[in-house]
Amino acid sequence: MKISDFIILVDTKAKMALKAEASRLYLSFLWWILEPIFFVLAFYFVFNILLKNGHEDYLLFLMCAKIPYMWFSKAVTSASGSIVANRGIISQIDISKAIFPYASIQISLYKEIPVFMLLFVMCIGYGYIPSIEWVWLIPLFFVQYLFIVASGMIAALLVCYADDVRMFINMMMLFLMFVSGIFFDITSIQQPLQDHLLTYNPLAFLCDSFRKILMHKGMYEINHLIGLIIFFSLLIGMLHFLYKLLSRNIASKVVNA
Amino acid sequence: MSQSSVILKAENISLTYKSRTGFSSSFTHHALKGISFEITMGETIGILGKNGGGKSSLLRILAGIINPTGGQVICPPNTTRALLTLGLGFMPNISGRENAIYSAMLQGASRKKAKAIIPAIEEFAELGEFFDQPVDTYSSGMKARLGFATAMMAEVDILFIDEVLSVGDAHFRQKAEAAMLNKLKGDQTCVFVSHNSDQVNKVCSRAIWIESGVIKEQGNTATVAHHYNLFMQS
Repeated sequence: MKISDFIILVDTKAKMALKAEASRLYLSFLWWILEPIFFVLAFYFVFNILLKNGHEDYLLFLMCAKIPYMWFSKAVTSASGSIVANRGIISQIDISKAIFPYASIQISLYKEIPVFMLLFVMCIGYGYIPSIEWVWLIPLFFVQYLFIVASGMIAALLVCYADDVRMFINMMMLFLMFVSGIFFDITSIQQPLQDHLLTYNPLAFLCDSFRKILMHKGMYEINHLIGLIIFFSLLIGMLHFLYKLLSRNIASKVVNA
Repeated sequence: MSQSSVILKAENISLTYKSRTGFSSSFTHHALKGISFEITMGETIGILGKNGGGKSSLLRILAGIINPTGGQVICPPNTTRALLTLGLGFMPNISGRENAIYSAMLQGASRKKAKAIIPAIEEFAELGEFFDQPVDTYSSGMKARLGFATAMMAEVDILFIDEVLSVGDAHFRQKAEAAMLNKLKGDQTCVFVSHNSDQVNKVCSRAIWIESGVIKEQGNTATVAHHYNLFMQS
């Protein structure tokens, strides 16, 4: 299959799935906007009203990291079950199995667009006016997408061989939430642990970088970002090779499961 | 490939399933045990056998969807193969038209080509205004019609057909059978699987009867079908 056909097929599948999902709900596509608004309101209620957090920007501080984390978590979790969920198609046609995690990841990406729009509106509401530094968000989104693709492909592949991996993924996501500096500032952690977290946990680096740009007009470690791009690109390349190699083996596992 | 006209060669194919039944126990099933045969270009062969006899698994192996656990399938390089199935990847909340486009794309067509063959699918499926309605509003016969119309558009070197003629009402069944016979009359190489020997007799020049994972008999369709019928009645 040509790369262009692969991309078009992934995009078609993702858009059809989104349309199918929207048609099942009375409020249809409006849920894309409503869901993140309710989500932010729930956090506002907990942290600003119930806990009366003294830090006035805490809600924005939280959202700058929680939203990228949720994108990662939702995308990888949904991608993990994507091959198994398409058992019907896989049992009938010899097709690249990578299509399924990619389509899931694409669905999550489209759903995340209004969520990030809401985050930007919140930033403006809190007085953090968009500046030229916001351009540096683009490579950040790109790295996060690569991170999601690599993790999603690994998760989807492993779930084909052992469904137990789903349980592990759920635990992993919870663990990542606590070690990625979402509820606290990663810089408040002692050295050398702080450096280790930022170096070896890409999510901690991404969350911290989103905050740096959106709230402090700052800049992330560009060399680390380039390193991540190279690492994830190589990893994704290897995963595509592995998917090709195991294609029929995956089909056997999924069909006979 | 020893003969130039041989388009597919199955060599000693076996398939063993191992499914887990507990923490340390498993169940092993030998679905296919050493199946060998050849298909020549342009030939239509039928595979007969009762339900659960390993026919669908064999078809999946021949179509290149799964690998056998033993033996091998040899095809000349770049031979395209497709398993003709009904309702490939249909999404219930999406219209028949969009599902047909998606299904054609799954079978290897580009989006442009998929859109180009839509009028032919629309005409063949006879769904009228339902073609633009979600598939979950369809009756099972309508779904089958859409599925058959979409599947028939696949252009490949070897076509594998699994029990597809038992769908829809009598009128559509006749139409589907005629369309398939028309396709098979040309140069199309085809492997047709059924538990119904009359269908195999109608479309195939040669038949293979599979029983409990092994070839029980192969050769002239009428003879094999006759023996198969006698066996099934006994």
